[in-house]
Amino acid sequence: MNRGIVVSSVTVRFGGVTALSDVSLNVQPRDIVGVIGPNGSGKSTLFNAVSGLVRPASGEIRIDGQDAVGVPPETLVRQGLARTFQTPRVDPVLPVEAAILCGFQTKARQSLLGAMLHLPGQRREEAQMRASCRAIMERLGLIEVADVPLGELPMGQVRLVDVARAMASEPRYLLLDEPAAGLSLLEQRRLAAAIRLLAADGVGVLLVEHNFGLVGELCRHVTVLDRGKVLLEGDVATVRSNPVFLQTYLGSHAA
Amino acid sequence: MIEKWSALIVLVLAVLAAIGMGSNAAWLGTSTLIAIYSLLALSVGITYGQAGILSVAQGAFASMGAYATGILTARYGISPFLTLPVSVLLPALVALPLARLVSPLSPLVLAIATLMFATIVEILLRGGGDLTGGYIGLSGIPPLFDAQTPVTFNLIAWFAVVVVVFLYANLMNSAWGRAINTVRHDPMRAVADGTNVTRLQSLVFTLGAGMAGLAGWLYAHQLSFISPDLFGIPVSINAILMAVVGGAGVILGPVAGAVVLSFFYEFLPGQESRGMFYGAALILTLVVAPSGLLGFTRFRRRSPAVRRGAVSAGAVPGKVAS
Ligand SMILES: Nc1ncnc2c1ncn2[C@@H]1O[C@H](COP(=O)(O)OP(=O)(O)O)[C@@H](O)[C@H]1O
Ligand SMILES: [Mg+2]
Repeated sequence: MNRGIVVSSVTVRFGGVTALSDVSLNVQPRDIVGVIGPNGSGKSTLFNAVSGLVRPASGEIRIDGQDAVGVPPETLVRQGLARTFQTPRVDPVLPVEAAILCGFQTKARQSLLGAMLHLPGQRREEAQMRASCRAIMERLGLIEVADVPLGELPMGQVRLVDVARAMASEPRYLLLDEPAAGLSLLEQRRLAAAIRLLAADGVGVLLVEHNFGLVGELCRHVTVLDRGKVLLEGDVATVRSNPVFLQTYLGSHAA
Repeated sequence: MIEKWSALIVLVLAVLAAIGMGSNAAWLGTSTLIAIYSLLALSVGITYGQAGILSVAQGAFASMGAYATGILTARYGISPFLTLPVSVLLPALVALPLARLVSPLSPLVLAIATLMFATIVEILLRGGGDLTGGYIGLSGIPPLFDAQTPVTFNLIAWFAVVVVVFLYANLMNSAWGRAINTVRHDPMRAVADGTNVTRLQSLVFTLGAGMAGLAGWLYAHQLSFISPDLFGIPVSINAILMAVVGGAGVILGPVAGAVVLSFFYEFLPGQESRGMFYGAALILTLVVAPSGLLGFTRFRRRSPAVRRGAVSAGAVPGKVAS
């Protein structure tokens, strides 16, 4: 079986706009693959295509050998593909812990009746979820804000909560859309450590970042998108020293 | 959360009220009606307040529950306690395919679809000939048991509310409840959690229909006669109003709304002013307490110490929702 997320020559159009054009990519378990590129280069669209939210006009997406195009997005999540959103979609009144608990949906086995009667099996499952939730919060340094409503948190921490929520489903593949934007240095360290741990556990991570920093540190392989096309790809060192990259990307972003 | 104790709160208050009312028939009648309206408003609470589906068909589901038991007990002499599951399951089973059909619709279109469904149900009941008794309705529905009195029936009605609130509060305090609330707030977010939104919405719609059916079952055996307009569209709208005024997203909100609006209704002079009054109550609630009278109980504030430590200078409230 062909393991990994394999994206082959994917093109996505929105009306007349070609947001992605002929993009290919490969994410293996334990890999952390970076996708960088300026705003509007198609990074989020690539994510949406892989996670089933937009349908490619052409090309192929396979996850562990299975055709993923046209599969309902929630089914992909149940099969082990979790994602975060560039702009976290959160209920501002929801406390951090409650929000992360929502991420355990794919693990829940309790029946409707079990939930309505709070049967012992259901109570055990809820207790397990709460314990796993605390473990994730500890890993990401969110314990102190467990009871804080998301609407009162700085954006950086809201992103961390989104990452935690995605981790809760124990995915085999994790797509992170600019998770480090707005994070303090300490929070970035925690996030980086958590991503490394996940990869070491066998998770394949696709990391979208606007800036090179975190990507350069975490990823071996990087794909650079520009206006929907793959501008460059290769290992971090090669990409970093490529004159085209320096000119078109770092040049315009003075990093 | 305080919502865990919802069923106990209703139980205690209902028992205290029952003791206070003694055998005053007028009071007992009002109290029983409030219990029945509470069930109907609770069905709005779960479908609209929790899952965000605005349905004007809750009365129609109650009607089905009432007619199911009315026909089976009055025409075929079946015991009311045997018809109870029928009254709950029939509307639920009708709601399931209906929900599958309508849940991909936009909220407003969905509300209109439920309105049409309610109208169709009423027309069918009117045209049902001997089976439903046509526009005159069905009479001679037996009491639940021979020794039924206003006192015992009031207790049974409130017991039903307690049971429903117990099941409902437990459900919302579970993985199911979290998924249901996520669907209401942001279906795309729910999808990213791995939730099949259509299926979950259908399920909630079905549960709400079952609750409404229970209200219909009770009402049929309290009144002993039923007619097609008993649970007409005005009743459905009334139930929505009660839920919203009390707090549709809070477990006990619909019960509180049923109590408050029923009391006002008791003391209101004429039928004509009813619409005006309900309109005023709705507007007042939306202005003063947008989440309803009990809205304040949701996600209580944290202690000041935690609060101070948590909110840093860079906090951007309001900017987090997308
Ligand atoms: N849902 C959409 N409808 C129309 N155009 C879109 C949509 N999503 C993205 N685009 C367009 O596709 C291009 C790539 O956007 P996006 O993938 O969000 O870029 P990035 O994440 O790299 O900033 C942009 O030109 C954007 O305007
Ligand atoms: Mg983007």
